[in-house]
Amino acid sequence: MEILNPTKPLNPSLFNTHFLKPLPLLNSKTIKLKPQVHTLNNSKRSKLSLTIITCSKLNTSKEIKNKDKNVSKKILLSNSAPPVASEESDGGGGSDGEKVPVKAGSGALGFLKRLPRRVLTVLSNLPLAIGEMFTIGVLMALGTIIDQGEAPEYYFQKFPEENPVLGFFTWKWVLTLGFDHMYSSPVFLGMLALLGTSLMACTYTTQIPLAKVARRWNYLHSADSIRKQEFSDNLPRASVQDLGVILMGAGYEVFLKGPSLYAFKGLAGRFSPIGVHLAMLLIMAGATLTATGSFRGSVTVPQGLNFVVGDVLGPSGFLSTPTEAFNTEVHVNRFYMDYYDGGDIKQFHTDLSLFDLNGKEVMRKTISVNDPLRYGGITMYQTDWSISALQVRKDDEGPFNLAMAPLKVSGDNKLYGTFLPVGDVNSPDVKGISMLARDLQSIVLYDQEGKFVGVRRPNSKLPIDIDGMKIVIEDAIGSSGLELKTDPGVPIVYAGFGALMLTTCMSYLSHSQVWALQDGTAVTVGGKTNRAKGEFQDEINRLLDKVPEIVESSLSKQSDVASG
Amino acid sequence: MIFLTLEHILTHISFSVVSIVIIIHFLTLLVNEFVGLYDSSEKGMLTTFLCLTGLLITRWIYSGHLPISDLYESLIFLSWIFSIIHMVPYFKKHKNYLSTITAPSTFFTQGFATWGLLTDMHQSKILVPALQSQWLIMHVSMMVSGYAALLCGSLLSAALLVITFRKVIRIFGKNKNLLNDSFPVDEIQYMMEKSNILRNTFFPSSRNYYKFQLIQQLDHWGFRILSIGFLFLTIGILSGAVWANEAWGSYWNWDPKETWAFITWTIFTIYFHTRTNKNLEGLNSAIVASIGFLIIWICYFGVNLLGIGLHSYGSFTLISN
Repeated sequence: MEILNPTKPLNPSLFNTHFLKPLPLLNSKTIKLKPQVHTLNNSKRSKLSLTIITCSKLNTSKEIKNKDKNVSKKILLSNSAPPVASEESDGGGGSDGEKVPVKAGSGALGFLKRLPRRVLTVLSNLPLAIGEMFTIGVLMALGTIIDQGEAPEYYFQKFPEENPVLGFFTWKWVLTLGFDHMYSSPVFLGMLALLGTSLMACTYTTQIPLAKVARRWNYLHSADSIRKQEFSDNLPRASVQDLGVILMGAGYEVFLKGPSLYAFKGLAGRFSPIGVHLAMLLIMAGATLTATGSFRGSVTVPQGLNFVVGDVLGPSGFLSTPTEAFNTEVHVNRFYMDYYDGGDIKQFHTDLSLFDLNGKEVMRKTISVNDPLRYGGITMYQTDWSISALQVRKDDEGPFNLAMAPLKVSGDNKLYGTFLPVGDVNSPDVKGISMLARDLQSIVLYDQEGKFVGVRRPNSKLPIDIDGMKIVIEDAIGSSGLELKTDPGVPIVYAGFGALMLTTCMSYLSHSQVWALQDGTAVTVGGKTNRAKGEFQDEINRLLDKVPEIVESSLSKQSDVASG
Repeated sequence: MIFLTLEHILTHISFSVVSIVIIIHFLTLLVNEFVGLYDSSEKGMLTTFLCLTGLLITRWIYSGHLPISDLYESLIFLSWIFSIIHMVPYFKKHKNYLSTITAPSTFFTQGFATWGLLTDMHQSKILVPALQSQWLIMHVSMMVSGYAALLCGSLLSAALLVITFRKVIRIFGKNKNLLNDSFPVDEIQYMMEKSNILRNTFFPSSRNYYKFQLIQQLDHWGFRILSIGFLFLTIGILSGAVWANEAWGSYWNWDPKETWAFITWTIFTIYFHTRTNKNLEGLNSAIVASIGFLIIWICYFGVNLLGIGLHSYGSFTLISN
């Protein structure tokens, strides 16, 4: 207590810096909450019904609800003041409450003015948003269950009309609703767009006003309204200044005016949901740009050959516009693989050179999986590979380039093969040496009868003797499978990602508010928080334990400070 | 070889200790007097945690990459996260109901990883080219931590539902004795007693009040842990998207695993939104979270078992088309 005293003279000046004009009480119930109560029941009921019906049913139930909602909303909507002002202030500090004068809406003109607001109200409806999210979830799940991107015949077989799945689901549903390409189907994209508008509407009509209210700090002037808070306590002999110092020590912003104290912390936690919504909108905008403004293409190039970027890339939407960099010519200098000791493939590498129109090398880079090349907005990925040819020397003749044909491409193991004819090439049953390869590391050779002869590594120069012929495998030439794209949406999407991560982290903070009122020698303390309710109670209890008890001598001084 | 033996030993120690912890938990449920036993169960969890840490580190040294590249390793990692979640309140001297959820969760994931999967899955595999990235650590650890926290939170919500539902039954059906004999009621009593210790305050011994208190607590802790899980899940999905833009050529490919992670994310978004409506807070959000529990399992396990899409590393190839 004595130790704490030195800080006391500081207090008034400290708090003076925070003095701002007192603001009306706005921590009151809003009318908005009421209609939502019974609407959620509606949407819950319709959730149980089947998916496709869900979207239509939800909408209709929203229409109905909208009607009776507007009855209660009408007065609020007709005045053009922002929604904050439409909140009623309740008993606690009635004298401070501001009432916004209600203007009478005038006829048809008023209706036209109200219309956008009415649409906003419908869109910002929480159960509607939940229904949209739920529908999107179900559609996405369906998209993973139904095989995507197959030919119509596949769906005729998979969902036959004679034996419909669940009694009604046939190929007609799949093809009419576009569920064979779910993630670009109008139903799915429409739901996403609807969710986007809901996000905007909700941010505009509900979240921003709520945050505005939260930002306005306010005192509570009656002990009753403080006791009404989620947490409240009464300190019989204490001073509100001491409490202020302790709260400041715990990281609160403290405001003091006369006997009243207001403190808050974690305001970011109150704003972060807006940030989350804006980040989601940013991601959606970026994704839209990706869908409409990008180019994609893939190409398999044998080592040593060239291609022009513009020939590979194909536009994906109406906003796709080619750039100067599309004239770049790419030369595959080398394609090679790294192997583990056990022989498994470790990594693929392609050495690329980029040449501009004048034939000048502008860039050279060895790309691999996880390490793409970026040039002038174009990104080149290493995604695939194959074996294009074998260089073979037969009895010191050649070398011959034998083209490799894929024998098995699907799945994990690729297999390529080629054939070196022996004897008369024009005879009807020409025989020869078969060579098979799984990778660029080793070639398996079979003789004319199809019997296994041996395995050779390219570059080993070690000849193999097959029926008196000396075969040397000089080299195995691979082709690099490259994927090219331009995507103007990526920076926006990444900005959205960053914002979303940050705001989600901030959402974990809880916005805690504490009010206190000096009443003679006693201090009434109340507080509330929006998230960490359990921790908040513990914290406040701990802080209140630290508030020094006032002994008689200093009491009079204290009350002087408090009242003056 | 030494590593393999060490790994083997550590797996078995951690699993046996967890089994013992579970038995102790059940004993303390049935007989409330064993306070010492409760403490020893906490020490048991600490041992499990250390064993699992040792196991992961051994595997890391032995395979040369972070041991979260396949299903078995991610399961071990999951039970490791569970044991961390279990430990946090213990170190903060802040007892809550999480321990009743996390201990069996560790038990089941650990048991499943050790016994349920084929033994050849235990062998540490080489990293395919697409996995050789710094993003692996960030993405997978965040995703698995997210799953662990979300599973815990949704189990708390499910417990809330069970308790609320039982209350309704008791009000309508009057056969109290039968219900009191059944096991979950014991658990409720046990948890209520714990809540009494926690609060350190005297309440009128009204059963309903305790139940209300318990439901409130479950709701609150469920919300808090789901928030953490959601945070991890968000970071996990986003880092995965950035990684995909480096490796696969697009930040979003609608790969089944990706899609299900997004569905999980959507479900928990719905959970947080149902909570904003004050009047329906507890029950509705608990139902949503319980649905979320199933969806996490589909996402984490179902998609892997079906082996579809780019994320099935059991049969992963480089081809992305």
